[in-house]
Amino acid sequence: MKILLKGILFVLLFLPITTIAQSTVTGTVTDAAGQMPIPGVNVLVEGSTNGTTTDFDGNYTLNNVPEGATLSFSYLGFRTQTIPFTGQSTVDVTLTEDAAELDAVVVVGYGTTTKKDLTGSVSLIGEEDFNKGNNVTAENLLNGRVAGLTVNTGGSPGSGSEIRIRGGASLNASNNPLIVIDGLPINNVANGGRSVLSSINPADIESFSVLKDASAAAIYGNRGANGVIIITTKKGRQGLKVNFDSQASVARLTDKIDLFSAQEYRDLINDRFPDRTNFLGNANTDWQDAIYREAFSSQHNLSVSGNLAANLPARLSISRADQEGLRKTSSFERTTSSLSLNPRFFDGALKIDFNANLSWERNRFAPGIEGNAIEFNPTQPIFDPNSRYDGYYEYTDANGIALGNVPRNPVAQLMQTQDIASVRRYYGNFKVDYKLPFYEPLRAVVNLGIDNSESDRFFEIDRNSALGTNAQEGEALGQRSDTDFKSSNRLLDAYLVHTKAFGDFNTEITAGYSYQIFENENFTTGNVRDPNTPPAELTIDPDVVLLAYFARGNFNYKQKYFLSASIRRDGTSRFGEDERFGYFPAVSGAWQLSDEDFLKDSNTLSLLKLRAGYGITGQQDIPSAYDYLARYGLGNTISQYQFGDQFFTIGQPFYRNAGIKWEEITEYNLGLDYGFFSGKLSGSLDFFRKISDDLLSGAPVPDGVNFSNQGLQNIGKLTTQGIEFVVDYNLASLEDFNWNVNYNVTYIDRELNRLAFGQDILVQGISGGTGNTIAVHREGYAPFSFFTYRQLYDTAGNPVEGAYVDVNGDGILNDDDKYISGNGRADVTMGFQSSMNYKAWDFSFNLRASFGNDIYNNVNSGRAQYGNVFRTVLNNVPTQVLESNFTNTPDVILSDYYIENADFLRMDNITLGYTFDEDKLGKGTLRLWTGVQNVFVITDYSGLDPEITNNGVDNTIFPRGRTFLFGLNYGF
Amino acid sequence: MDFKLNNMLKLKTFAFLLLLVGAFISCESDLEVTPEDDDELLADGFFETEGAYKQALAGVYANLSLTSINDPGGSNIAGLDAGTGQYIRGLFNLQNLSTDEVIWTYENDPGLRGMQRNTWSSDNPLILGVFARASYEIALANEFLRQTTEARLNDRGVSGSLAEDIQTYRAEARVLRALANYHLLDMFGKAPFVTENDAVGFDQVPEIAGTELFNYIETELTEALPNLVAARQNEYARVDQGVANMLLAKLYLNAEIYTGTARYADCVGICETLIGSGYSLTPNYLFNFMADNNSNGAQNEIIFPITNDGARTQNYGGTTIIIQGEVGVPENNGESLGVNPSGFGGLFRVRPDFARLFTNNPIYQNDTRNTLITQDRPIEIDNVGNTAQGYLITKFTNRTSTGGFGSDRTFTDTDYPLFRYADVLLMYAEAVLRGGGGSESLALEYVNDLRERAFGDTSGNITQAQLTLDFLLDERSRELYWESHRRQDLIRFGVYTGSSYLWSYKGGPQSGTSFPDFRKLFPIPNQSRSSNPNISQNPGY
Repeated sequence: MKILLKGILFVLLFLPITTIAQSTVTGTVTDAAGQMPIPGVNVLVEGSTNGTTTDFDGNYTLNNVPEGATLSFSYLGFRTQTIPFTGQSTVDVTLTEDAAELDAVVVVGYGTTTKKDLTGSVSLIGEEDFNKGNNVTAENLLNGRVAGLTVNTGGSPGSGSEIRIRGGASLNASNNPLIVIDGLPINNVANGGRSVLSSINPADIESFSVLKDASAAAIYGNRGANGVIIITTKKGRQGLKVNFDSQASVARLTDKIDLFSAQEYRDLINDRFPDRTNFLGNANTDWQDAIYREAFSSQHNLSVSGNLAANLPARLSISRADQEGLRKTSSFERTTSSLSLNPRFFDGALKIDFNANLSWERNRFAPGIEGNAIEFNPTQPIFDPNSRYDGYYEYTDANGIALGNVPRNPVAQLMQTQDIASVRRYYGNFKVDYKLPFYEPLRAVVNLGIDNSESDRFFEIDRNSALGTNAQEGEALGQRSDTDFKSSNRLLDAYLVHTKAFGDFNTEITAGYSYQIFENENFTTGNVRDPNTPPAELTIDPDVVLLAYFARGNFNYKQKYFLSASIRRDGTSRFGEDERFGYFPAVSGAWQLSDEDFLKDSNTLSLLKLRAGYGITGQQDIPSAYDYLARYGLGNTISQYQFGDQFFTIGQPFYRNAGIKWEEITEYNLGLDYGFFSGKLSGSLDFFRKISDDLLSGAPVPDGVNFSNQGLQNIGKLTTQGIEFVVDYNLASLEDFNWNVNYNVTYIDRELNRLAFGQDILVQGISGGTGNTIAVHREGYAPFSFFTYRQLYDTAGNPVEGAYVDVNGDGILNDDDKYISGNGRADVTMGFQSSMNYKAWDFSFNLRASFGNDIYNNVNSGRAQYGNVFRTVLNNVPTQVLESNFTNTPDVILSDYYIENADFLRMDNITLGYTFDEDKLGKGTLRLWTGVQNVFVITDYSGLDPEITNNGVDNTIFPRGRTFLFGLNYGF
Repeated sequence: MDFKLNNMLKLKTFAFLLLLVGAFISCESDLEVTPEDDDELLADGFFETEGAYKQALAGVYANLSLTSINDPGGSNIAGLDAGTGQYIRGLFNLQNLSTDEVIWTYENDPGLRGMQRNTWSSDNPLILGVFARASYEIALANEFLRQTTEARLNDRGVSGSLAEDIQTYRAEARVLRALANYHLLDMFGKAPFVTENDAVGFDQVPEIAGTELFNYIETELTEALPNLVAARQNEYARVDQGVANMLLAKLYLNAEIYTGTARYADCVGICETLIGSGYSLTPNYLFNFMADNNSNGAQNEIIFPITNDGARTQNYGGTTIIIQGEVGVPENNGESLGVNPSGFGGLFRVRPDFARLFTNNPIYQNDTRNTLITQDRPIEIDNVGNTAQGYLITKFTNRTSTGGFGSDRTFTDTDYPLFRYADVLLMYAEAVLRGGGGSESLALEYVNDLRERAFGDTSGNITQAQLTLDFLLDERSRELYWESHRRQDLIRFGVYTGSSYLWSYKGGPQSGTSFPDFRKLFPIPNQSRSSNPNISQNPGY
């Protein structure tokens, strides 16, 4: 409530009270192909700031148009038209679609540019390109659409995603791209929420700009290392427009892990473990069926935009999303409201954009019970009337007390756990863009941003659960804790933009200042049911302050030769005084070859542009900031030390690295944009090479001279290089039939060039053994390369248990005989989209493919051995054991036998829609659609799903369902 | 009118913009941040309070028990699982697990197979854990000494009784540093040579090895002794002269291994000092290993306990892993040991060779030190992963001497007896037998003191003729098993490597096989050598 009030106050504070007088010149703008009115077209008197936009019916009214002036009509995706004004009272215009979209406005850091003027590697994805379907989180609108951008979303409801641009640049620091919403860079921490983007309503998003190379991202200095995704939200427009969007869906499990069924299991035990048959039960339980369900979801959006109070363009939207997870009890609920006010004053010289968003998210997290569902004996029942544990069957001793170190009933675990997080978040910005009255070429822009979130997470395990803490034999305490998170992020950007043409030489210079502060704290009660856990604790992170000065110049000659250069001086409170500031320069250029005389008249080649860029970016978002300070930590109540009869709070110094600094990424990009047949066929080709230096890695420290044996140091070096190719083909553009296809492919190669002291770093824990790792960082190889023993096979091709190649030939088989056997990252990723319209029908689908990625099948490696069948009780194991015939997990768990090729082709979604237009409805248009999400996956991978995060280690996942959707969209 | 208003507004807007910028622009000093959390302080701020010195001292001690300052699952050293890197667990791993006394069920845990089958490489994480944890102890002691120099104390205005106490604290810190150096000497033959005079950071300090390291430790202990509280007079669990003397005794007993020069006479001498220091055997052997061993009388026998507390000193090493690990599967006898019924799932069994020390002669049926559970269990372990094979023990427990429970079912209260008086008696006997002088009859008396306590009467007593070195090696194991002595003892008796004594899974196979002499020392972990190439690798690795 408090937040809501604050929000309203914030709005009232900036409600403008002026209106502007107007006179009349009117007209209608229509689409040349469909003869439909186009709303939102920019109508401008050239060389002035006098302009307006068309309303929903394509109508516009423009004042004070002097005779002899030129009117320009522009709209995203259409060719701009200019009409000389000779006193007509009505000017009607038809716009033709521009397939190449060269005039599309692209938001870049601290300003905008057009696609034509771009010199760096930037992808723009507008609303019309968004993925269709049940997309609850913003990043899924983009998945597969942008070469070099991968989005890997988990299966849980509202799940966050692993987003990588060109593979990421770091090893231990964040690999997440910087996400900027309307100029506000957001914090990459999702306290209590599903992810940083989960509280955003995707329907409020107008476009994404993806700044991929350093020449584009360097304007974000020490935060640009992993690329930048700029989200622009929808703005208010003149003319009333109402849109209602609703969809419902149901998701079903597509596959299960192959286990022994109850009957197969009985046979197995009778056959191989005859002395254990007394452990068999009489039930027939498929534990995987028992933990999953059909999951229903719905989403509704209502948005209204138009003039509020005379001449105040505004947009208001509310939305609601309810999503159930396939895993029982898991759910995601979100309510959002968004208000945008976009008044223009002084004939457009003063633009104010105000955007306020409120979002409520409620998550119920379901514990990861897949492991228990795999292992639980299928001949045992879910329920047991004699059980003291709420009637759920559990393995017990003679007194009915649950045993330890045995699988727990996964259904009980789901039902007896309540893990609910509520998140309240408000974010928004207030932007003033002012063309100075006394010097027209100069604009001053101030942007204030705020992003606050508060969340509380409630966790409880029932007292009647076998999972809880044992006080004494038979007395279960359950578990219960509350955690509150609070974080805030405030921003001030102020910059000046100077735009001036000197004959054919156009210049734009931007210079400014940015200040941002992040605050974070959390409060946790700890497990209040356990008398021996520490008391409630408030943890306050040191503030993170980021401060920068930046400048950029964009120049072009005759719109043919482009040059852009920028520099940013960036400071961060994360590092010590001597390392705090850095300079991040970038320069890029482009040559519009197709505008040269020798190509200008070509009928085939309509666009050819060469681009080259270079830039340096940084990464200061490191896992443990403030290592530069000489700090002491005080122990908590469970970490005291006893002297005499007293327990003392302990004080210990923390690891220190006075010289810690940001990671530095140097990137080169060579690109080519092409278009043929008036843009019917267009696309781009980019080559890039980026060198991440001073990589922070948890590197060894000489023993005894610091307060750990390992700590973050700027030592590593990683080179990433790749090729991106995009082609967009307008196969048909007829009156009744349009068909557009788009294909992108990316090749990425990553290699570690330097690690601390050349020392391998073992990474990526697996299940099966405490502290076991399966991957390594090693010089000369990609990060997170699988590091295993090389399996020996008999003459029949069957693996010999525990027999490996003595790689170094020293006669002893030990850690020195492991070798690099694969990698979880793909070498090649592809995306393909097709969208088709025939009369009122629309049909679209998209495909994604991935090649060269391997998976370590930890589901099998840690479980599919006969030795796991009896451990205190009888356990089920994957039927893969029939293939390997392995018995002893420790002997085989690190074998390359479990490294599998996980190439895949997936159809993400397919939709079919029908639109009833105004003629049929009387008012507005109605689109009904249906679709399927996660339609199919083609892969050789034997596990559930070849698309996993976790650096390619598959240790059970929250499965992705196949979703069937139905939706409607009504607008007028 | 309209025009003027417009202009006015324009100017106002511009002024407003300027104001806005002015109001929000903050200077670069904002980049200077300080911790805001009440548990995190800058070093100078920390030592402003008088209590900080004892807290910092507690920090130096705590590293022998805790793995982080706030979470038993967290660790201030990296490269291995938190609990595995706990100080005592590290000692147990290297001193016991690499011998005939115990086997670890789960060989998929990294490094375990190499450790218990004596095939470890220099990448073994268990070895890394010990090297790093002991070195970290040195770093903590150095930091304490650095923060308590006279100059520092004067700067902070510390005087009076606190200043005096701090002199004692400093001596204790030096003993703890010597303890860590002794452990490094014993297991690695060398240590990074780093003192309070070295800076905190990344300096590649030189190594100190063999005789030099031996002499350094001896000097440190000798110098610290006068500033320490007399034996048994300090607060429970703090270092006193008894601890320093015990360390010296250990050094002298093993001097021939460490330096090539025997010091048995010195060992006899220092044992005599210890014997005269007022320690006594607690009447019930098992009281030494109970949840209340800080108060049930065992405190008179335990020379240096490493404290553990289920509620207040939680860690996954020390007696927690030992007691949880003792719990057998399928017996699920955790309740009787004061922990969760299934413990850690049958983690430990004893190897047959150790079990036979108690089973070969029926008199040991009456030995209270014999805690073997043999019922329904084969003595041999055909399959390391089969928890039903091999005998269990119940020596350590989280139950109290009065039958009560420790304060928690996961984390135990039992303090780990790093040094016990019983060991002094056995050391005396051994040093005498090895020609260090002293009295053979006293030696026999001391050994029989232990036997009488163990058997409850003189039925287990031995004769002077029976008191041989071979007997002592076995007797040490019967008395001190799982107390991190076995490897050192086997080396001193010349049977750790080679083929004169083969135990189950020694060198790899169940039947046991010889392994080469160079494995008497563990390798310097690759990671440690990479960050400091001045530490040379031990021969053979």
